[in-house]
Amino acid sequence: MRATSTAGPHLSTRAQWWVLTTRFIAPTLQNGELALTIASSVVFTAGFYIPLHQIMRTATLGVASSYAQYLMPLIGLEAITFAAISTAFRAATDSVQGLNRRFRSMPIAPLTPVTARITAAVYRCLVSLTVAVICGYVIGFRFHRSAVYIVAFCVLVIVIGALLSFGADLIGTATRNPEAMTPLLILPPLIFGLLSVGVQPVEQFPHWIQPIVRNQPISQFVDTMRALAGDSTPFGGPVTWSVVAPTLAWLCGLAAILAPASAMVLSRRA
Amino acid sequence: MSTGRAFDKAVIVDGIRKTFGEVVALQEVSFEVGRGEVIGLLGPNGAGKTTIVDILSTLSRPDRGHASVAGYDCVSEPAGVRRSIMLTGQQVAIDDMLTGLENLVMFGRLYGLSKSTARTRAKELIEEFDLVDAGNRRVKTYSGGMRRRIDIACGLVVRPQVVFLDEPTTGLDPRSRQSIWDLVSSFKGFGIATLLTTQYLEEADALADRIIVIDHGRIIAEGTADELKARTGGSYCEIVPRDFNDLLVIAETLGSLLPEKNRAALTSESDRIAMPAPDGASTLIEAVGRLAAANIDVADVALRRPSLDDVFLALTDDSPEARIPVPTEVIG
Repeated sequence: MRATSTAGPHLSTRAQWWVLTTRFIAPTLQNGELALTIASSVVFTAGFYIPLHQIMRTATLGVASSYAQYLMPLIGLEAITFAAISTAFRAATDSVQGLNRRFRSMPIAPLTPVTARITAAVYRCLVSLTVAVICGYVIGFRFHRSAVYIVAFCVLVIVIGALLSFGADLIGTATRNPEAMTPLLILPPLIFGLLSVGVQPVEQFPHWIQPIVRNQPISQFVDTMRALAGDSTPFGGPVTWSVVAPTLAWLCGLAAILAPASAMVLSRRA
Repeated sequence: MSTGRAFDKAVIVDGIRKTFGEVVALQEVSFEVGRGEVIGLLGPNGAGKTTIVDILSTLSRPDRGHASVAGYDCVSEPAGVRRSIMLTGQQVAIDDMLTGLENLVMFGRLYGLSKSTARTRAKELIEEFDLVDAGNRRVKTYSGGMRRRIDIACGLVVRPQVVFLDEPTTGLDPRSRQSIWDLVSSFKGFGIATLLTTQYLEEADALADRIIVIDHGRIIAEGTADELKARTGGSYCEIVPRDFNDLLVIAETLGSLLPEKNRAALTSESDRIAMPAPDGASTLIEAVGRLAAANIDVADVALRRPSLDDVFLALTDDSPEARIPVPTEVIG
């Protein structure tokens, strides 16, 4: 072994965060993950729109200018959920391969590795959302409000994605089982997605399940996204506090659960 | 990062105690490691070796006692400790998705090297560790020995003061094991202190300046390999049967010559019987006499100095069940 310096002159948290983030992003170009992320948005669009648009057009006649306009928020949500969930797989792999343990013995701040994984998830969410919006435009979805609302729409989706990926990261770190994880985490968003106002108006669901459909988070998110996207007259409702408040409440609630959970999972010493 | 603080002893462990719930993992463990010294921490699975490494590398806190590494306290100054050490766990901890070179560059950047310095350093290390041909391949495709080499190389992108190697050669083929041994020997030349945990007595014998034998969370012996062998005293008599199926019959025939402890240590894997020969050649003659009387054919009978295996057997717990290896917990 040759003599090496003991120096590490640029030991900054920001640089370490970036190094750990690029470790997830750089390989996505070659290993097909980027292609998969793009494909998933396309598949969600096709999978919902093609079989449903003729049946659902009648059901949504009174509430939206087209079924594409009605459906797009849910497609966006499903796409970023998919992107966020793969964080669990990465976190579980890091945990099980001993990388988390090694990082903890290195001069790296405890939150840096998890922050890097979430940053990489946000990157995947951005790709998913971009592709989902493009697909939406292909089937006939349009933003009808000013740029500020478009930005708000995107920020909302990315914040949801970041929180979901944080949750997925904790589950992955805690369970340390990459193989078992992904199928378990993919089902709930799909089920909640189908049982939401994202696919059809709440009145189309059986009576007994309507309260759940109306109040579950995906429905609330979809309502807010629809309001932010707007619609041609006479549809597109206003962006009112009563539409936005439940969404913000759900997000705050999610954050309130994740903060102590993260303290528990991340401080657990092997 | 500065070059760190001046220190006298690379590692000081003073009266460490650690419990996990009801289980006492370490009790009153104390030892020191000098600069450039290689210490072998020897003990069976579950003896507490990894717990010691965890405390010294700031992954875990002791319930009682003090530990310091490179002059930094492991509990109150973890940042200083982390800048001074390299930890290689029982598991190879590198990014499987990246190539060998990319892993080295990543760790270099994490330790604060600039991009270009990290690249230069990565190329140096890949050459030194004889991985040039594999440098641009995903680590996923590496063999066990190659993975361990790149794992250790990643910890050497900047020079550590103290290196912790937790069972570094477990599961490696003899050639890979030898290359890790050569590497550890080279640490000494750079004044790097090494704490090596191992279940392999030959490994501790080959590498360590001093050996600390630990069992049930307690240090039961400490010294050079020669000192430990001397402590066991006298000579050992070794009997190799011509037919391994005779092993139990031989054990039977030897009767009182074979102490209960050595008898209990025999497994279906054993190919010879080793036992203390307190009376030297007389014990040997007596043993040969008994075997001849029983018409048992032996391939070899010899009188020798005790091996570390014998030492370990003599020092550790008497009850045979204490020696049954418990499954290693997955360390994360």
